[in-house]
Amino acid sequence: MDNLTWRGLGLRAALACAGLMAAAPAFAAEITIWCWDPNFNVAIMREAGQRYTKTHPDVTFNVVDFAKADVEQKLQTALASGTTSALPDIVLIEDYGAQKYLQSFPGAFAPMSGKVDYKGFAPYKVELMTVDGKVYGMPFDSGVTGLFYRRDYLEQAGFKPQDLQDITWDRYIEIGKAVEAKTGKKMTTQELNNGGMTRIIMQSGNGWYFDKKGKLAVNDNAALKGALETQAKMIKAGLIKPATGWNDYVKAFTSGDVASVVTGVWITGTIKAQADQAGKWGIAPIPKLDIPGAVHASNLGGSSWYVLASSKQKEKAIDFLNEVYAKDLDFYQKILTERGAVGSLMAARTGAAYQQADAFFGGDKVWQNFSDWLGKVPAVNYGIFTNELDTAVTANLPALVDGKPVDAVLKAINDQAELQIQ
Amino acid sequence: MSPRLLRRAGSALRYLLLSLAAFLSVFPFFWMAIGATNTTADINKGKVSLGSALSANIASFVAAVDVPLILWNSVKIAVFGTALTLLVSSLAGYGFEMFRSKLRERIYAVVLLTLMVPFAALMIPLFMMMASSGLIDTHIAIILPSIASAFIIFYFRQASKAFPRELRDAAKIDGLREWQIFLFIYVPVMRSTYAAAFVIVFMMNWNNYLWPLIVLQSNETKTITLVVASLASAYYPDYGTVMIGTILATLPTLFVFFAMQRQFVQGMLGSVK
Repeated sequence: MDNLTWRGLGLRAALACAGLMAAAPAFAAEITIWCWDPNFNVAIMREAGQRYTKTHPDVTFNVVDFAKADVEQKLQTALASGTTSALPDIVLIEDYGAQKYLQSFPGAFAPMSGKVDYKGFAPYKVELMTVDGKVYGMPFDSGVTGLFYRRDYLEQAGFKPQDLQDITWDRYIEIGKAVEAKTGKKMTTQELNNGGMTRIIMQSGNGWYFDKKGKLAVNDNAALKGALETQAKMIKAGLIKPATGWNDYVKAFTSGDVASVVTGVWITGTIKAQADQAGKWGIAPIPKLDIPGAVHASNLGGSSWYVLASSKQKEKAIDFLNEVYAKDLDFYQKILTERGAVGSLMAARTGAAYQQADAFFGGDKVWQNFSDWLGKVPAVNYGIFTNELDTAVTANLPALVDGKPVDAVLKAINDQAELQIQ
Repeated sequence: MSPRLLRRAGSALRYLLLSLAAFLSVFPFFWMAIGATNTTADINKGKVSLGSALSANIASFVAAVDVPLILWNSVKIAVFGTALTLLVSSLAGYGFEMFRSKLRERIYAVVLLTLMVPFAALMIPLFMMMASSGLIDTHIAIILPSIASAFIIFYFRQASKAFPRELRDAAKIDGLREWQIFLFIYVPVMRSTYAAAFVIVFMMNWNNYLWPLIVLQSNETKTITLVVASLASAYYPDYGTVMIGTILATLPTLFVFFAMQRQFVQGMLGSVK
């Protein structure tokens, strides 16, 4: 009460000095965009904006960067308070969180089905932004996964690149044991308190923590079961060099301590930064689960653009995204070359940058390969509680390694998750 | 063991503990300074010796950030916010102590109760207020909610208990009005209290993160803390550059604290002895 009076007084005082402190006014045809990485999506969106302004001089862009958690916090606050004036026109949302925003704030985002030809994009990227048959958003960067391996270590152990094509996880474990016996190097590394590996294997098995309708589906989930069992087998076989945190994880494969790593395409730049390892690396499709519907392709991470329904520039914003992200193949070559960004538009692969062979990876056509796998990533429903499920899984995985039956572990995960998300 | 030896062992132990505490509190600053001179690759490796990348880091920071504008934003908010908070909150503290009544004690209790409401609970209603006043993306919206700080009001009221009422009575007899008493008697007498409050409020304003983050919407209005956070959140952050930012963000608070250290300690003990 007392505070309120003070605020009332303050407001009046504020108006007096408003001239001194007010921010720059908004321009008529300016599109405001929120995203988070100055060297990646911010720079890419600036490039996209420049391209659009060339053909549409009346439209300018204001790309604002905040930390990723901060973009989410700001979006959440503005949406929860219904203050649409405080929202940007376009916002970047991480794919795993998309359903949460789309379902928690119905009507807040502009559907774009009918305006964008979604058939041109990797199907899984479209599925994750679909609610009740309507597609919201413009698919952006992909985290399509690959098996990055050291040719030299594998060769020392007697394996050729062909030996890594079309293998199962069990075969991968056998190869790993042979590699360690011959070279003394662990086969791979993993952050054991990070759910990334579970997500990768699970999605490659055409499953997720949730079914196609978004309902919790942990018990009797073959893909999740396969993901957990595979990891337990790898741990038991001593194949994994455990990492404590991201830096440690990256160090394990950039310093030559391990023979391979399964992760998203976005790691390519980090691996290539080790110039002295040129020619020693190769890429292969990720191993497959031995269950029906499983493939050699999956995804880790990635994000997409969404237009706010309240935006005054809604039509222009959608047109901009459509013109650049759904049609401009040259744009995709440029962001691949300059920023290492793999987009989700399938046609981008016909461009020159995507066709290049890379001597660093022993002459493999890296981008053509990733583009092949991109189209095969199973489309699953990421649901709205992926983070909660990750926590439950990492908490229960050690019990599986210790010999608890897998169905009991799944039940424990299910029970913990139900408590958290009820 | 002889008493002398015991005393020696005791003091050795004390020094050991103090050295450990000093190390724990100083090492982050030390590493920040060292980090600013190294490349990101070296920082990731855990290198703790001086490197040669200082000028490169500064150059990339200046290229990425409009430094004068961002610093000016932070300084503006911290200085205006602190001045207004001290004025308004000390007036309130003075008022609560000098003009006691049952009703006022109740109001005071309500003010103290607001200390217990977490900011997260206030955030959304406050945001709606600011939005309906058209203050989103302005620095006023950051300063306003902090001016009437329950903690500073409490602090001034407690400190005012030591303010001699005789002084006020004498000033009244000499014909001073209440605002004159406040301005010409109370403020000078309480200056160490003000100094201590200044240090506290300045740091709170300078380091304020969550609320500016919610309110500010454009690159031109951001404060240094927001800029550093956004640089550090890249998928592959350039830590060397981030360290330049953290140094810039830390220096003013260090400067204020060291410049006012003596008054700060006095103020915490009480202005009037």
